[in-house]
Amino acid sequence: MTCDELHEHLDPFFDNELGLAEAQKIQQHLEQCSGCGEVYAARLAVRQALQKPEVRFTSPDDLRDQIQAELSKQVRPAHQATWRLPSFQFPTWLMPSLAGAAAVLAVWFGSNVFLTAKRSSNDLLGTVTAQLVSDHMRSLLPEHLIDVVSTDQHTVKPWFAGKLSFSPPVYDLSDHGFKLIGGRLDYLGNQEIAAVVFQIRQHYINLFVWPKTEYTYLPDTLVQKEGFNMYGWEANGLTMCAVTDAAPDALKAFVDLQKQKHAETE
Amino acid sequence: MVSLYGSLGRVPMNEEEKLTRFEGEMLPLMNDAYNLARWLVQNEQDARDMVQEAYLRAFKFFSGVRGETGRAWLLRIVRNVCYDHLKKRKVYSSDAELENIPSDSSPESSLQVKSEVAAVRSALASLPEDFRTVLVLREMEELSYREISEITQVPIGTVMSRLARGRQQLAEALKQMREKDLV
Repeated sequence: MTCDELHEHLDPFFDNELGLAEAQKIQQHLEQCSGCGEVYAARLAVRQALQKPEVRFTSPDDLRDQIQAELSKQVRPAHQATWRLPSFQFPTWLMPSLAGAAAVLAVWFGSNVFLTAKRSSNDLLGTVTAQLVSDHMRSLLPEHLIDVVSTDQHTVKPWFAGKLSFSPPVYDLSDHGFKLIGGRLDYLGNQEIAAVVFQIRQHYINLFVWPKTEYTYLPDTLVQKEGFNMYGWEANGLTMCAVTDAAPDALKAFVDLQKQKHAETE
Repeated sequence: MVSLYGSLGRVPMNEEEKLTRFEGEMLPLMNDAYNLARWLVQNEQDARDMVQEAYLRAFKFFSGVRGETGRAWLLRIVRNVCYDHLKKRKVYSSDAELENIPSDSSPESSLQVKSEVAAVRSALASLPEDFRTVLVLREMEELSYREISEITQVPIGTVMSRLARGRQQLAEALKQMREKDLV
């Protein structure tokens, strides 16, 4: 074996990646050739330097807890089977509208559940869903449904772009029976959110979209509230919630199509 | 207020089982994941974010039964997450990397050992990212060529040549540092 041949195989030899026969040839050459022996010694010095435990970085102590908390969020929402808010702190931006939303619903249903509700996380989520339901109901009043009337996604999407800091996904699903009929600005608390409006037969679907916040996590499941069907989910930093009086199957099909379109375009 | 879900939406047990198994297999590897991320992105806060992102991504694709390859699998995800991040940060120029020499203090008490560790760290940090990655995977994580090839998505021959050049460059960088210290 020549020195050049040795250099070619030195690293795999050093890393125990050579077959026995080749390794023996290298070993013999190293024992006889001092020049190559020095090269080998340099490899060894590098290894010893890098393998000092102090050279490694150790994971910070709190990172494990943080990751476990994040991981359990991936499982917990559906497990707890509630619309979960991660914090008990009341979102201040919802404050002004809580009374309003509660009053509207109290009148509507002759019930004052929202006024007597305790401030638990479920209730806060209840506030979010209650608002969306009331947004949906208000949209059904004459002249309230749509701000921009268009069946063209390329008209509706840019319309939002001029009015919101985020861009809601707008897809044409008319091939599947969900006709895009327009868009509207709506409110969740005092935050402006997008409402993309679809029609299936005689039913309307409001798809509410807003940037994900820590207060408005919606588990990926169908919910029935006040006679409406709702389905919330998250995608690409946005929270989405479809509200409709259409049947649960239709809503589920709608949501699946939305997710599919979203996955295709991202 | 009554739970909005009522009896709806009971989760299948396997989601929880999946989490338990995932945590059992993957959380013990966090130091390895962090070490790789820390050497790739070169600062503590980004490394934390990368590891968390990698674990969430890994959980999504986790299907259990990984055994021996679990560590290489996780490190590949860590590496991919870091690459995506680096691409966004555009710190591929070696100048930017040189400025980012890790400064974590070592708990070692002896001043000599401390400066030795600091020298090795800054020498490794100064290497081009391709060489640094294979050296971390081979010398610190002690992975095989095949595993390194899978993680870095280059052929085994490339792994080999990067290791050879990386080792030469690191030896050279260390030598230069020692000479500078002696002056």
